[in-house]
Amino acid sequence: MLRLHNLTRAYELGGERAGVFDVSLEVPAGCLAVLAGPSGSGKTTLLQLAGLLDEPDEGEVILQGQRVSRLPEKARCDLRLRRLGFVFQSFNLVPVLSALENVMLPLQLQGLHEAAARQRAAETLDQVGLSERMEHRPGQLSGGQQQRVAIARALAPRPVLVLADEPTASLDHAHGGPLMDLMATQCKASGVSFLVASHDPSVIARANLVFRLQDGRLTATEGAA
Amino acid sequence: MILARLALRNVLRNRRRTGLTLLVVIAGFMALSLAGGFMAQTFDGLSQAAIRGGIGHIQLLHPSALEGDEGQSLEFSIPDGEALAARLRQDPAILDVLPRIQFMGLLSNGPKSVAFLGTGVDPGREPKFMAVLDSLKDGAKAKGGEGSRWLATEVGSREVILGVGLAKSLGAAVGSSLTLMSTNKEGGLNAVDVEVVGLQDVGLRELNDRLLTVSLDSAANLVDAGPARSRLSILLKRPGDTALELPRVQALAGKEVQALPWFELASFYKQVKLLYLAIFGFMGLVLFLVVLLATANTLLMSVMERVREFGTLRAMGLQAGQLTSLLQWEGALLGLSGSACGLVLTLLFRVAVNAMHLQMPSPPGTSHGYELNIHWVPMVYLGVFLGLQLTLQLSALFPGLKAAKLRIVEALRHV
Repeated sequence: MLRLHNLTRAYELGGERAGVFDVSLEVPAGCLAVLAGPSGSGKTTLLQLAGLLDEPDEGEVILQGQRVSRLPEKARCDLRLRRLGFVFQSFNLVPVLSALENVMLPLQLQGLHEAAARQRAAETLDQVGLSERMEHRPGQLSGGQQQRVAIARALAPRPVLVLADEPTASLDHAHGGPLMDLMATQCKASGVSFLVASHDPSVIARANLVFRLQDGRLTATEGAA
Repeated sequence: MILARLALRNVLRNRRRTGLTLLVVIAGFMALSLAGGFMAQTFDGLSQAAIRGGIGHIQLLHPSALEGDEGQSLEFSIPDGEALAARLRQDPAILDVLPRIQFMGLLSNGPKSVAFLGTGVDPGREPKFMAVLDSLKDGAKAKGGEGSRWLATEVGSREVILGVGLAKSLGAAVGSSLTLMSTNKEGGLNAVDVEVVGLQDVGLRELNDRLLTVSLDSAANLVDAGPARSRLSILLKRPGDTALELPRVQALAGKEVQALPWFELASFYKQVKLLYLAIFGFMGLVLFLVVLLATANTLLMSVMERVREFGTLRAMGLQAGQLTSLLQWEGALLGLSGSACGLVLTLLFRVAVNAMHLQMPSPPGTSHGYELNIHWVPMVYLGVFLGLQLTLQLSALFPGLKAAKLRIVEALRHV
């Protein structure tokens, strides 16, 4: 479903060469995959390349058999809207919109009519256990609830792949575990794949596939989809 | 519509800052539209003063009449002006035609003689269309002006109305007998004894010092005009059609005479209009600049505060152009709400100011002030609204482009 082929993206950080170098990996459909490694190992950089937020210096991103990393920004933007979902460490919800409106936003950007978007967003929020909090704004929700809204926002447009950057880093253990369970459930239920960047052992423990990174290089692959 | 809704929420996000920006837009709207209303009052007043001061909507005159001074009375005249006037009165678009004889000479009380600028007018027609009775009313307030009345319509009456300054220089009052002297068409000197029946204050000091009005019949006799007339002032049934009717009137009048509209003949009106347009144009430019900078600053600050949010939206699939549109919507909403509030406040302010009947000081060269009456001119309000809206869209352009150019990965890292 997602294949990263010999990806290299280098940049200067504090006078040293950082980034990812010659990384190749494959994430099958319906798989919960984790990019594991210490800080500075290149997890976020690789996630951004896979999410078409950045262009590689070398190599290719292949999504559902299509080479997509060299497409023009407009086409990559459209792919992000229709096939990819994003979950960020600090949730990144739009603070002036309610939970429901946050989830509706990508659907309406896709061109869905308001009523249809509202219905699907409500269904998705229900799936993540937030049917009682739909009209609350992010500031009125706990960290765990905000991250659930973020997952609902990523899932509602029915993407093929959700990219999550340290999704449990801002949550305590009591909230982080259930959130990962929710992702694992969604993988099985809807066939969507998750590629999660994390060094949290509880996240790694729930993964089908673990890609270990060190200094921007893939050092090991564990598990099977 | 999702962008419009998001823009509305964003505008309401920082209410104090939005409120301050709106105050700038409202102040700009009020200042510009009130200035526009004041200008409209001034232009309207000056145009009416010119038209009803004797020019009419269109004036017919000899082609050389405006080029140089006449050597003698009626040197540049319309040879058979009365016949032409009678013919033009038959035209369905023309309300009436007022013939005039312009002449110069000396007015004497015996020991003292003063030069005058005389106009012979039809005493029957003139008060129907021109503001002569209004200026007489003002003249009546002047010393010696008590009992002022308009010229008698009987043929052969030898009555004059004097400008208040001219009367003062001769020590004349209503009822005084004076001698009027002028040259006829052949250059010969002619004189006639006249009685002062009224004083006139036309509002311009220089004109008040020289102005003299007599009946057309008296003027024609004095300068031996026969059917010749200096000018024909044409009043149209539809004043707004002046420019439209001009070529037709010219064709009707023939090539021997020149037809000119009031706005080309009223030099004071033209000068004041140019001056006002320059002053208020500059003021408007400064105001638009203030609004532009204030709103651009607000929107730019709001962009800088939302860098990560924009990064998230872009990551989710919002196109760069849509981000620019979002900022355009925010500018549009600021403009719309500012203009709406500005319109309401302007109308209230206008009603309050007009109800106060404030007296404005005399403009330069005039002898009395006027009441402030800010006009309601929908086109001015529309123009101000469109101008401000354009300014707001322009001010949103730079922040919008800046937001659109953000690198997503850097925006997501922004703290």
